[in-house]
Amino acid sequence: MRAFGYEIDELVVAHVLLAVVPVLLGLVVALPLGWWAHRSPVARRVLVPLSGALYTIPSLALIVVIPVVLGTPILSPLNVGLTLTIYTVALLVRSVAEALDAVPDTVTTAAVAVGYRPAGLLLGVQLPLAVPVLTAGVRVASVSSFSLVTVGALVGIDSLGTLMTSGFEQAYPLMVAAGVVGSVALAFLFDALWLGLGRGLTPWSRAGV
Amino acid sequence: MPPAEPGGLHVIEFRDVGKRFADGTVGLESLSLTAREGEITALVGPSGCGKTTSLRTVNRMVEPTSGSVHLDGRDVADADPAQLRLGIGYVIQQAGLFPHRRVIDNVATVPVLQGLSRREARSRAAAVLERVGLDGALAQRWPAQLSGGQQQRVGVARALAGDAPVLLMDEPFSAVDPVVRVELQDELLRLQAELGKTILFVTHDIDEAIRLGDRVAVLRVGGRLAQFAPPAELLAHPADGFVTEFVGRDRGYRRLGFVEAGALPLVDLPTRRDGGADPPGEWTVLLDGAERPVAWLAPDGGRHDLGSVYTTDAGDGVQEGAGTLRGALDAALSSPARCGVAVDAEGRYRGGVAADDVLALLEREPAR
Repeated sequence: MRAFGYEIDELVVAHVLLAVVPVLLGLVVALPLGWWAHRSPVARRVLVPLSGALYTIPSLALIVVIPVVLGTPILSPLNVGLTLTIYTVALLVRSVAEALDAVPDTVTTAAVAVGYRPAGLLLGVQLPLAVPVLTAGVRVASVSSFSLVTVGALVGIDSLGTLMTSGFEQAYPLMVAAGVVGSVALAFLFDALWLGLGRGLTPWSRAGV
Repeated sequence: MPPAEPGGLHVIEFRDVGKRFADGTVGLESLSLTAREGEITALVGPSGCGKTTSLRTVNRMVEPTSGSVHLDGRDVADADPAQLRLGIGYVIQQAGLFPHRRVIDNVATVPVLQGLSRREARSRAAAVLERVGLDGALAQRWPAQLSGGQQQRVGVARALAGDAPVLLMDEPFSAVDPVVRVELQDELLRLQAELGKTILFVTHDIDEAIRLGDRVAVLRVGGRLAQFAPPAELLAHPADGFVTEFVGRDRGYRRLGFVEAGALPLVDLPTRRDGGADPPGEWTVLLDGAERPVAWLAPDGGRHDLGSVYTTDAGDGVQEGAGTLRGALDAALSSPARCGVAVDAEGRYRGGVAADDVLALLEREPAR
């Protein structure tokens, strides 16, 4: 589909990839860090404020600094992806720790008592029970990621944000509006997806009481 | 302290077990105790007496800072913790079921960890659920859909499913209401009569300890053993003021629950099979077609509740007070006719129980 001089479907695909892949990568990185923060009060005192501080770095600054630090090409989508991964980690470390905290003590104690080893305990009991709180965290990270992708357009990384930047340059409000509506719609769509996934993984949490 | 029972295979033996926590508090000072094979050993005491701590030294969820715990004659410190725990059933307070697994899979947990296929584990779990008296229809429910009492039964089933000869029970019935608690206690006694496990049962409730324990260990704060004795002995001869106070009021009356009323004479009572027509003129027991007592008829013909009925012997099911002086005296005292109604295990009328006869029998008991 072509509009405003752009292949819209290409922009949508780029937008989704740039937003979703960092959320998944960030989750993978945040899981062990959050588990560590859950286990060790010392780790928590360092990791949680540190990840909070990461989130306060302006996104544009990060996108510009990353190529300088890592030597990636200035126009590479990697810079945006990495930035969003960092933000996801910043948001999710705390979420993961709190999601694991929310697993009732009696349940983990019972699991240890019946003979679970630590890895089995984490994968078989703690993580499945952490899903509801974790889903809430992932949804926040996802919405944040879908909106921040548009910032990449300022440094020439294509996404629906491109419609906004070009629309501004051409003083074409409809084009800006299309970019805004499109990215908001995508953010909602994926929010619903995470919500559905979280519910699908936790049929027990809706068991009638 | 008695030495380890010779020949007992699934004996749990605490040898001078001490636990000092990292913050300096003393969980256990020096506990020496032997839980005999095939018996329920109740650990009871006020909060802070280290009863849960001592329980957890058995499956190495707590490591003692001094002394040792021996299971089947072997020091548990030499065993791999997870492997050790697979061989020890554990029932925790408030059941501690896995909320994300259906009832059947909760119970199948240990068999799966022991290496059985899911199918074999589930079929074993189904058998155990039946054994603890849970309807098969509950197997596919989530734990949150069960009542507190049902959850606790599932907790017991989960502990039994691994076929461990030793069970650790940590205040398993403390979170359910009194009526359900008595049901669960009866159920445990019935299961124990069938299975003969070696059970270490922690409770803060002295009545529960006395009801369930073959032997009761009363602990003071700091995990010092105040007395370790069979319940009747504990009630008759509390070792000191602490135990006396902890055992509480009505010791003498409660001790009657451990005195068999074998020689208690039953008196003949007037009986009737229909309640209508003329007033009987004296207190009369109304029976149904199966010889079961239904009500008392007052001299003026009015119907009255039977009061508690004395079951002369326990029969197959465990019934509180069955065959004991306590049950007999309670029947006599709670009857409107001043004379209790005695029935057999099937509930058929056997005769009357007079309080005087109970007291006379008690006087012939050897002095204690």
